[in-house]
Amino acid sequence: MARIPSAPPADRFPASGSRRLFPYLFTAVFAASVLFSLREAQVDPRRLLDADALANVAKFVRGMFPPKLTGEFLGLMARAAVETVQISVMGTAIAIALGVPLGVLATSSLMWRGVLHERTSRTGRWVLGFAPYAASRAVLSVFRSIPEYVWAFMFVRAVGFGPFPGVLAIGVAYGGMLGKVYSEILESVSPRPLETLRAAGASRAGVVLYGLVPQALPNVVAYTLYRWECAIRASAILGFVGAGGLGQQIELSMRMFQFDEVLTLLAILFVLVASVDVISGRIRGWVA
Amino acid sequence: MYELTGIRKVFAAGSVALEDVSLRVGPGEHVAFIGPSGAGKTTLFRILNLTLRPTAGALVFEGQDVSELSDAELRRVRTRIGTIYQQQNLVGRLRVVHNVLAGHLGRWSAAAALASLVRPRDVAGAGRALEQVGMPEKLWARTDELSGGQQQRVAIARVLVQDPDVILADEPVSAVDPSLAVSIVTLLRDLSHASRKTLLMNLHSVDLALGYFPRIVGVRDGRVRFDLSPDKVGPELLAELYAGHRDEEQELEQLRDGKNPFGAACRPLPGFRK
Amino acid sequence: MARAVAARPGRRAPLLVGAGLAALLAWSWQGTGVDLPGLLGGEGLRQIATYVARLFPPDLSARAWRDAASGAVETFAISLIGSLLAVGLGLPLSLAATRTLLYHGILFEGRRLGPGARTARVTLHAAGKALLNLLRTIPEIVWALIFVFVVGLGPFPGVLALGVHTGGVLGKLFGEVLEDVDPAPLEALQATGAGRLAILVYGVLPQALPQFVSYALYRWEVNVRAAAVLGFVGAGGLGQRIHVAISLFQEHELLTLILAIYVSVTLVDALSASLRARLV
Repeated sequence: MARIPSAPPADRFPASGSRRLFPYLFTAVFAASVLFSLREAQVDPRRLLDADALANVAKFVRGMFPPKLTGEFLGLMARAAVETVQISVMGTAIAIALGVPLGVLATSSLMWRGVLHERTSRTGRWVLGFAPYAASRAVLSVFRSIPEYVWAFMFVRAVGFGPFPGVLAIGVAYGGMLGKVYSEILESVSPRPLETLRAAGASRAGVVLYGLVPQALPNVVAYTLYRWECAIRASAILGFVGAGGLGQQIELSMRMFQFDEVLTLLAILFVLVASVDVISGRIRGWVA
Repeated sequence: MYELTGIRKVFAAGSVALEDVSLRVGPGEHVAFIGPSGAGKTTLFRILNLTLRPTAGALVFEGQDVSELSDAELRRVRTRIGTIYQQQNLVGRLRVVHNVLAGHLGRWSAAAALASLVRPRDVAGAGRALEQVGMPEKLWARTDELSGGQQQRVAIARVLVQDPDVILADEPVSAVDPSLAVSIVTLLRDLSHASRKTLLMNLHSVDLALGYFPRIVGVRDGRVRFDLSPDKVGPELLAELYAGHRDEEQELEQLRDGKNPFGAACRPLPGFRK
Repeated sequence: MARAVAARPGRRAPLLVGAGLAALLAWSWQGTGVDLPGLLGGEGLRQIATYVARLFPPDLSARAWRDAASGAVETFAISLIGSLLAVGLGLPLSLAATRTLLYHGILFEGRRLGPGARTARVTLHAAGKALLNLLRTIPEIVWALIFVFVVGLGPFPGVLALGVHTGGVLGKLFGEVLEDVDPAPLEALQATGAGRLAILVYGVLPQALPQFVSYALYRWEVNVRAAAVLGFVGAGGLGQRIHVAISLFQEHELLTLILAIYVSVTLVDALSASLRARLV
């Protein structure tokens, strides 16, 4: 009769095998960082419930109603909303213009590794392939790691107030994200068709056009659309640093304690974001 | 045990899965359900284990009309009915011990269930159940790392832990290889025989049904076509039951030619001569 | 050959989409007043180049180091606690946003819900979804403004802002995961007589957990970037120091702070990737 392994005695529990250190270590480090962060971030729930805070909430909520709906204000805000959309479109266009070349350069299978380069010489691979590959990866990493607000802030300093710095900020930050994801998509393309084309004697350009692009395109389009959605949200608030759009208005109204204007602006933002969700969902439906 | 009168099930899309099914099953009985795929057998079993509500008709379990039960009563009745599915319906990411102990869930509170996931509550019971299905060494394995046949035995162990009065097995062997199929069917038959449980089984293979069950119910197009002992189920009846279902007809042809996919473990089928 | 070669299918849809995109682009170009020729033609580029040149070299004095380090630590703390708060908010809300746990699907085929109970659950679902949408649509930085107004300056309003906004995002994502869980094991658990709560902890959560962890880690990465800018409106972290540095034209110190952002973001990305590999 077979024996039941590790039947209960509590001291032998867990007999489940994973007695490695990692879970304990992880729990300890995690708990320590949470405690440390709670102190560092000055988390104090009482501050939410003290009399001042509650009075402020009441002031804020009372101030929001009724929302400001005068024709003049709405007209002004409509223009800001339009500007927000325009910033996102231009920003995304620049991001694509930056992301495509950088993304291609950052794809190892296109630059120095794999099917396309079996006959390239060693030095050729390093100088013409690996060097630009590494450089563009570094550039992409810097572009996307610095948040778009910081870019916007710096561009405001460099080229002045208005929508232009917002466009540049989205272009640079999202160019970095698009480039990285484009290169990942290109990298993950199945090599089998490429090999077949290569074996059939296709040139390098032929392989790229007939093997690589068709496989990568749907994902590229889908991800770019997703980024455009994000760009609308972002451009709506880049105004906080003086880069045009709705954000500038929200900050202004908030600073002036005009909460009735804030409510209107948030409603406009809500509608804007919701309609972008719907539109890009439609487009994605067509593409897929 | 079960008393069904005029059961009818229509799905939302308008397709009729069952039509006027009436049936009585006594305590301790062993019944096999056969019929072509799409006949409505699985729907019937989901109604029998009270996870699907019939559109019309009465289902009486142990003298109690099921449609009149409250939520809590329904749950209590369900604990007395154990189900084994075609696909094993286990939680793949959990260890075997948890999937076996899921048989206790009808008796455990949610808090107890959560606690048991951290520290299993009845390891000994799970071990015994696994022993009965012949794989005690897999107690701590991750369920999705087991083969299909092993997972099916985990599902049986879960039912053993649940210890119900009725076992419903919906095509328990159609996803495992033939040699294992015989052993699983015998296992279920012997286990339920020993503890006087009622056993209802959907079977894809006619020879297993005829070979191991004293009562055969033929289902086609949502209706019960016959309800007989196996020696009365002849080739004509079977041909009629499976008419128009090509794959299954071919299997019948093979049976008629004396080829039995389950080997010597199956006794010769009545009505079919070598 | 008897059969004709197929005619080329219509090509109108791509043309229309292309034309639409071109019009959109032209409209946006005109509206934003982007002066690309000017930018590429020298004037704009020179402005940017001058500005970038002014940033160098980074300020590496002990004071700047300390400032950058304490800002980075604060940013990390805000992002971590904010993300945890978001999980704590998103998890219960996601249950309210999951139809398959409330009134629809395999767990509700055995017995009809009473009309009152059903209406209550449909309402709860709609309310949960609406709340999640509200939390999610208002950007973190607007939440930060609101919380700065409510509780005052410092990192705490930043934590609240990240928690509330990300709570909305995670609630939506978690809800989608919960609805997509394989229903077969749930049916089996239900057939043993298990209650819905027991099915939730025993059948649904084990299936959903890896995705939950993955999404939470992903949002943590996003939140480090966000935490680094919430300071612009007074909610602590590196952003606050960057705001000061830019406003006071301290370009060298600005570069140090930007380097600090780059390092924290890269570190958290790497940490999150390795955790994802180990935990999921």
